[in-house]
Formats: sequence, C-alpha cells, structure tokens
Amino acid sequence: MTSTTYYDSDQARRPLVTEFQNLWDNRGLIRLIVGRDLTLRYKRSTLGIWWTLLNPLLTTGVMWIVFGQIFRFDVGAGIPYIVYLLSGILLVTFFSQATIAAGSAIVGNAGVLSKVYVPPEVFSVSAALSAAANFMISIIILLVVQIITGVGIPWTVILIPIPVLAMLGLTAGLGLLIAAAAVHFFDVIDLAAVFIQLVSYLTPSFYPISIIPDKFLFVVYLNPLYSYLTVFRGFMYGGEFVDWWMFAYMVATSIIALLLGVWMFSRSWRSLVVLL
Amino acid sequence: MTTPAIEVRDASLAFRLSRSRAGTFKEAAIQMVKRQITYEKLWALKGISLDVADGEVLGVVGPNGAGKSTLMKMLARVLPPTEGRVVVRGTVAPMIELGAGFSMELTAYENIVMYGTLLGRQPEFMRERAPEIAHWASLDDFLDVPLRSYSSGMLARLGFSVATDTDPDVLIVDEVLSVGDAAFQQKSAERMKNMIDDGASVVLVSHNLQTVLEIADRAMWLDQGLIRLEGDPEEVVAAYQASVG
Repeated sequence: MTSTTYYDSDQARRPLVTEFQNLWDNRGLIRLIVGRDLTLRYKRSTLGIWWTLLNPLLTTGVMWIVFGQIFRFDVGAGIPYIVYLLSGILLVTFFSQATIAAGSAIVGNAGVLSKVYVPPEVFSVSAALSAAANFMISIIILLVVQIITGVGIPWTVILIPIPVLAMLGLTAGLGLLIAAAAVHFFDVIDLAAVFIQLVSYLTPSFYPISIIPDKFLFVVYLNPLYSYLTVFRGFMYGGEFVDWWMFAYMVATSIIALLLGVWMFSRSWRSLVVLL
Repeated sequence: MTTPAIEVRDASLAFRLSRSRAGTFKEAAIQMVKRQITYEKLWALKGISLDVADGEVLGVVGPNGAGKSTLMKMLARVLPPTEGRVVVRGTVAPMIELGAGFSMELTAYENIVMYGTLLGRQPEFMRERAPEIAHWASLDDFLDVPLRSYSSGMLARLGFSVATDTDPDVLIVDEVLSVGDAAFQQKSAERMKNMIDDGASVVLVSHNLQTVLEIADRAMWLDQGLIRLEGDPEEVVAAYQASVG
C-alpha cells in the first residue's frame, strides 16, 4: 500500500517537507491550473494576449510622456528612458500581480477546497506561476522595444529565468503568508495591496536612482525588489553580470520569503478549510 | 479479522461560528483593543468512533444539521478532525457536492480533465478517459461545448460520470444518487452496485431510507453530532422513523 492511498489524520506533518512534497505530487494539477488560467485569459477574450499587456503598456505610455518627455529623466549609460521604464514597470507588475494572486488563491478557491481534498498551497503556487508565465510573454514587447531603440539584445537574456525563478520564490512565499492570514481576516489582502504599492514606489522602476539623496539611498538598497530589478535589467539590456551583492541579496530574499511563507502556512493549515 | 478500511477514533470537529468570527483584520484589531475576542465553537461532530470493514456498506441517516455531510467531508479528508483520529486505507472516491472546480468558460473536455485531476487522478489518464466519460453521461455531442451552455441536469450527469469513472477501495457518497432523469438514475444506481460488488467499502448518506435498507449492511443514526444508534439497518431506520413520527 503506497502512502498516497493511505490517509491518517494523525500522520506527523513535517513542516516544509510536507508542503514541498505536496507540490511535487500535484505537479500535474499545477500545470493544468496554469494552463487553464492562460487559456481563459488569452483564448476566450477579444483582446486576447493584449489584455495582460494593456495595463503595463498604458502605464508605461503615460509615464514615458510625463517623465521622459516633460521631466526628461536621464537614466544614464546611454540607455533610452523607454527601455529603462518598460523593464521597471513589467517587473514591478509581475511582483504585485503574482503576490496578490497567490495571496487570494486559497480564499478564491474555497468552493473547490471545501469539496475535494487538494493541498491548498497548490492554488497559491499555481497563481504565482501563472503570473510568471504572463511576465515571460510580456518580455517579448521589451525585446522588440530594445531592438527598435537600437539597444539590442545581449547574450545575457538567456539568464533571465534566474531572476524570474527568484521572483517566483519571493511572490509564492509572500503569497502563502497572505493567503494563510486572509482565511482568518479577508481584508489582509487589501492591506497587502497597499504595502505592495509602497514597495513598488520605493523601487526605481520609472525614476533614475540618481535622484535619490545619498542619505536615503540605503532604503532603496534594502528594498529587496531593487535587487531583482537590477539583476533583471543587467541581464536584459546591460549585458553584464551585475554586482554579486545584488545577486546574492536577490537569491537570499527569495529563499527566505519562500521558506518563511511555507513555514507560516504549515502552522495554520489545519484550521484553514474549516474557516473557509 | 482484517484491518478495517475506515477507522474513526473519538473524532470531533468544530466550526467557528460566523457571528463571533472577526471577519476582517480591522474588526479583530478593534475587538482585541476592547478585549472582546471570543471564539464560539460549533461542534458539528462530537466524539465519533466508527469502523467500516473491507467491502462493508454503512448507511448514515439523520435529520438536517445532524453532521452527516461534515462526517462525509471528514472521511474524504476535506475537513481534518479538530480532535481524534481518522484513518482511511485505500483509494477513495469522494462523491460529495459533485462538480467541484467546474469552469463555465471551459469545454466539457477541459473540465473532465480538471475535475478528475482534482480528484487525484493523472491528467494524461483523464485525457484518455474523457470521451468515454462523456459517452456514459450521454453527452458525446457536447464534449467540445463550454459548460455555460449546459443545463443543470447535464452538469450533474457530467459530474457524476467523472466521479464514478474509477475503481475505488472506498466510496463516500453524500446524497448524489438522485441525479438526472429516471433512466440516468437507474444507470447510476447500477454503477454504484457494481462498485459495491467489486468489493468497495462504502459510507453512504441518504434521506431516501429505502436506498439505505436496500444496500446497507449496517446503518448509523446521527443526531446533533452524536451517534444515536448503530446496527442492523432495519432496526436503525425503524427507530429513526419512529422518532421523526
């Protein structure tokens, strides 16, 4: 008799191990959910793929007019402002969408979770993965803009999956943290959205870091999202392997967020479905 | 004696009452300040112990709110017991509120694959089985139609067909035998009988006492989260009927 066909409510749950095991065991389901999300978004609507890109593209358009044409931000190193701006907006959008989607996924799937047994973490991780897939699609636009503006595409773009994977860990971890709390208090999701917006503004996505006074620079450096953005931009158009410190900070915050989220989640799983 | 398929030991299950539950963080914070945070618990099941032997059919009867559905969900692993222990051996086919996770925008085919996977089967296997599942529910021509164009009867048939397209060791059935028209009901009753004949252990909730008398080896009368009576189906059903008047 294998373990999958044996259920014991008293079975010792090993925090972290059990959750990752659950995710691995349900990889077929996760693939299916991500596929369904993409299908629903792209195939079944008139605007199709443009829906996902509409928000970041409009934001980029407006900011390009305001900050690129009126305020004339200079981002240095001969990089056109539009490339700097679009890369920033896309990554920050990925961060906020993935975190909010992963955070709402368990409450959002209450209908399923109260009818069949599925490890709830599956839904949060699937939501973060869907956002990552969207991000990978939206990168195509950035590549096109880089070609048009003559920035070109360096070989380092093949390393893009590294920051994407790190972002996945960060957002899934934060999402699980929010999801577990949201089952108890549903306004946690709104609260999280406010914090995410604050973090986004503290990230130099649309302004050059040079406009920040030296004494406040540490705030930006401490902001984890800045390290993701720096690594992403470095691979995307900088064509260089960025600062090792930035890279290490990105990887570390990703792993810490993921472990913390899963751990907090595993502490509350038992009361979860009863509360839904 | 062989090990039972289902063992429940002194299991209780509590829900938090929604009126005492602080729905928002804001409310919780206010209550915390006022020192008013109280958790009123509703015990849906209180100290339930039961065994279901291999191949045995247990019928559960009782009034609304007795905890029958909660018991079924606890056996199906959906709700973990607050106290006590539940052990279920073998593959489980839960037939509780069929059609979980149906997306109205997706086709029947996509939904069959998704629902079957949610029930713990492999996506590749479900892709293979999908035509046969639709055929059994007499929905061959509607396999590529989005579910939003389905009638409620068609949805119920589809859900039943997916849920029963399996060869389980343990079958958990909550009031789903009255799906579809007369012909479909007969077909589904037959399928259920086949599963029982193949040696599946069954726990069945039904308000149709005739069904319980026909297929149960043993019956249990649940009332206010407690086992009122357990034993021979005829006796239990008679006692339950007498209490209802």
